[in-house]
Amino acid sequence: MDVVGGLLQGFQVALGFNNLVMCVIGVVLGTVIGVLPGLGPPATIAMLLPLTMKLEPTGAMIMLAGIYYGAKYGGSTTSILLNVPGETSSVVTCIDGYQMARQGRAGPALGMAAIASFVAGTFGVVALMLVAPPLAQLSLAFSAPEYFGLMVLGLTMVVLLAGDSLVKALLAMLVGLWIAGMGSDLFSATSRFTFGRVELLGGIDFIIVAIGLFAVGEVLGNMEPLNPPSMIPVPKGLRNLMPTWQDMKDCRFAFVNGSVVGFLIGVLPGAGSTIASFMSYGIEKAVSKHPERFGKGAIEGVAAPEGSNNAETGGALVPLLTLGIPGSGTTAILLAALILWGFKPGPLFIQDSPQLFWGLVASMYIGNVLLLVLNLPLVAVFAQLLRIPAYAMNPLILGVSIVGVYTASGSMFQLGLLAFFGLLGYAMRKLEFPTAPMVLGLVLGDNMEKALRQSLMMSQGDPSILVRPIPAVLLSFAALLFLVPLFKKLNAFRVQVLERDS
Amino acid sequence: MKPFVRSGDFWSGIALAALGAYIVSEARRWTYVSDEGPGAGFFPLWYGGFMVALSLVLVAQAVLRGAAPAEVRWSEVRRALTAWVAFVACVALMPWIGFMAAFALLAWFVVAVMARRPQRIAIPVAVGFALFFYALFDWGLDLPLPHSAWF
Amino acid sequence: MRRSLASRVLLLALAMAAPAAWAWAPTKPVEVIVHTGPGGGSDILARAVATMMEKEKLVPVRMQVVNRPGGNGAVAAAALYERKDDPNTIGFITSVWIAGPITTSEAKITVHDLKPIAQLMKEPAVIAVRADSPFKTLKDFIEAARAKPGQLKQSGGSVTSRDNIVRQQLQHATGTKWAYVSFPGGGERLAALLGGHVDIMVIEPQEAGEQVRAGKLRVLAQLTEARLPGYPDVPTLKEAGFDVTPTPQIRGVVAPPQQPAEATAYWIDRFEKLRHTASWKKYIADNQLEEAWVPGPEFAQAMKSIEAELREQFQQAGIKTVR
Repeated sequence: MDVVGGLLQGFQVALGFNNLVMCVIGVVLGTVIGVLPGLGPPATIAMLLPLTMKLEPTGAMIMLAGIYYGAKYGGSTTSILLNVPGETSSVVTCIDGYQMARQGRAGPALGMAAIASFVAGTFGVVALMLVAPPLAQLSLAFSAPEYFGLMVLGLTMVVLLAGDSLVKALLAMLVGLWIAGMGSDLFSATSRFTFGRVELLGGIDFIIVAIGLFAVGEVLGNMEPLNPPSMIPVPKGLRNLMPTWQDMKDCRFAFVNGSVVGFLIGVLPGAGSTIASFMSYGIEKAVSKHPERFGKGAIEGVAAPEGSNNAETGGALVPLLTLGIPGSGTTAILLAALILWGFKPGPLFIQDSPQLFWGLVASMYIGNVLLLVLNLPLVAVFAQLLRIPAYAMNPLILGVSIVGVYTASGSMFQLGLLAFFGLLGYAMRKLEFPTAPMVLGLVLGDNMEKALRQSLMMSQGDPSILVRPIPAVLLSFAALLFLVPLFKKLNAFRVQVLERDS
Repeated sequence: MKPFVRSGDFWSGIALAALGAYIVSEARRWTYVSDEGPGAGFFPLWYGGFMVALSLVLVAQAVLRGAAPAEVRWSEVRRALTAWVAFVACVALMPWIGFMAAFALLAWFVVAVMARRPQRIAIPVAVGFALFFYALFDWGLDLPLPHSAWF
Repeated sequence: MRRSLASRVLLLALAMAAPAAWAWAPTKPVEVIVHTGPGGGSDILARAVATMMEKEKLVPVRMQVVNRPGGNGAVAAAALYERKDDPNTIGFITSVWIAGPITTSEAKITVHDLKPIAQLMKEPAVIAVRADSPFKTLKDFIEAARAKPGQLKQSGGSVTSRDNIVRQQLQHATGTKWAYVSFPGGGERLAALLGGHVDIMVIEPQEAGEQVRAGKLRVLAQLTEARLPGYPDVPTLKEAGFDVTPTPQIRGVVAPPQQPAEATAYWIDRFEKLRHTASWKKYIADNQLEEAWVPGPEFAQAMKSIEAELREQFQQAGIKTVR
């Protein structure tokens, strides 16, 4: 079925009254879930599954998908306002988003998050529609060696998150790698660094580390001064609540970056939206003319990751709908849902069920528009949250952190870990160690180790498998990235010398 | 004689070097490489080793730069640590007195003791927040928060 | 299904009690503990069972799924153990609960510390290769592996998973050797096979079904006692000439260790009734599972023998066992 014909049929399906209602319910629910830390799309979709048995499958799928990508819109809210990631993929948004909020620019940050999500989300749907089957086939060429290259590239982004001291950033990253390695080793069933605790057998969930380091650590820092500044100025007037035209111009590349990077990483089974957001953040900083602004409230630092985590949902649907392979937790549940409803996701899915596929695609266009329309006014509503005086804001952040961690894990042990990482976050701030590289190390470290060991198992120990075409390219990029700051320093030194001579 | 006071970098470097050494010693207990590829000890050995190396660089930097120890306002650090102890107490008490009571106490502590606001503000804020979280998550969304024997 | 005398007597007693009101029935919501997060295998099964119980009006209250992921089931096992004598809590287990404690010393509670209710089913699997691979039968693969030891590759889960156990058993029985690459997610394993990075894998019949229909995969053998209805033309391992009985991958229900006898009897009866309902039969058929009902104390026995088999397999594979 050709694209235009399919799309027309899809819109016919998606614009039907029932399906439209399902779409609205899905995206609204998704936004709410995204805003609430601790509650994520996988849990919600799983809870709604029995309910969906009573609904018509196309409508149900439209609703569940709406929850999936809608949550990515809402996830930036608490990240920007409270430094608590609302969604796992919004961890990176905390870095610049929260700083923007502290500078009184919460409105533009929230608004840009919504706009970037819209642009990239729509791109993701377009790409899904146009290149899904061939891209899916191509993605099969991506296996452990290629992942290894990708992960190494991601980790060298630490160079870009470094700030002043590369040594401290690397050390933070290494600690992140250590935490990532905790738990039961997949390949040998050895327990590593579990300190005898059964709760550590599965490793430490990075979201707990992120919330502890970012949110709780920040609050502890806020406790220091006896007379803290009371409030962050909330600018009046709608003009100040939205990104300016200058902001939009600044983010031109971020939109492209987020869309493409997010989508491509989404297509790869196993790589997640968190990796996508770190990557696009890193790329954005790498190509920026003023990289030192990142980490201090650069609006591109919000646009790029928020865009990429939305494009990633479109990408993740590619292997699901064209090959029947789920790439992440949420798509695995969507797969189970499709099977429960009697569909057969696999290479013949689009052929067999064009109505569902095209109806879903069309509904995603509609959904993204709905979400933009829904989220922009919400910016004004949420920005009011900053009117809360600091003495009340701090307990609020602590409460959100505790509730977020407990509802996600159900475990007091995890709350204990939260307390530990909160203290660590405070200590790192005092000692001027950057916290983002630790989270980066934690997110990527586990995957990188697995990819390396899988690669070497595949090649019987022959390391040349790591320089197959794609990994070779990625690894060279990584090497370049690592050397660029060195070149810059050398260049600056050379310029200094020249100036002295002239 | 120069007082033997070292900067934060120095001590954190030492601590990280110790962590790195611990990681390396644990890693040596596991297989480094087997015929099925790198074993469980492969990665930890390497990143542990890097950790030791880099932390010694940090220590060296701290010593060579001879920087004066950063201005540490210990009174402020004490305040932050007090707040942390309150947080830990809240988490520890939660299984016994339930989320609402534990969190209300924490919130009250932050507002009344840390921020020194009057009781007529602190108590309503604390109780209000506790009720808000409970109502939204436990009652509204059916996501249970820790309960004590009574609530 | 074979039934022992003990279970016959038990069922007779239950049947006699049935017309009278139950000595015990739940009055508050029942909590079902699972060891996966939302969307994981046990979670989906628990939710499906809850829906079926409600639909068939077998349980008068709501059944709520409680996720306690972590530690290969150890966290969930500990959570169940803590419920001591609670009649309103049950847990869904898989073979992972049996296998996990063998290799991890951190797990303090094992399935033997919990009260068995019943084994519900076995999860069969099939052995698959790409449709364009040179192996038309499992014998072809084994011969190729014999010619090039250690060169062929299989993708699968962790080294303690069924995928690797089957590999160990086959290698041992035929004197051959091939490599094993672990991928944590099922999607990645399939992608590795389809992309040509590995040569063979053990896969759930359902996952394979669509790929076979689309002409991407070829199924060489099935790991079942009798041929699955979805794969009428594929030989079982025995039929293919390999005298290997793969250690079964089971799913069952357990209760906290001191649950009152009448509550446990109630649960055994409810699950027994569930088995005969149309929704259950449909579930089994749709998901291509194997019914394998083993109630009460026999279930504990079955788990012990599975554990013994697994321990032997792990030791043969060179995996360190701690108990």
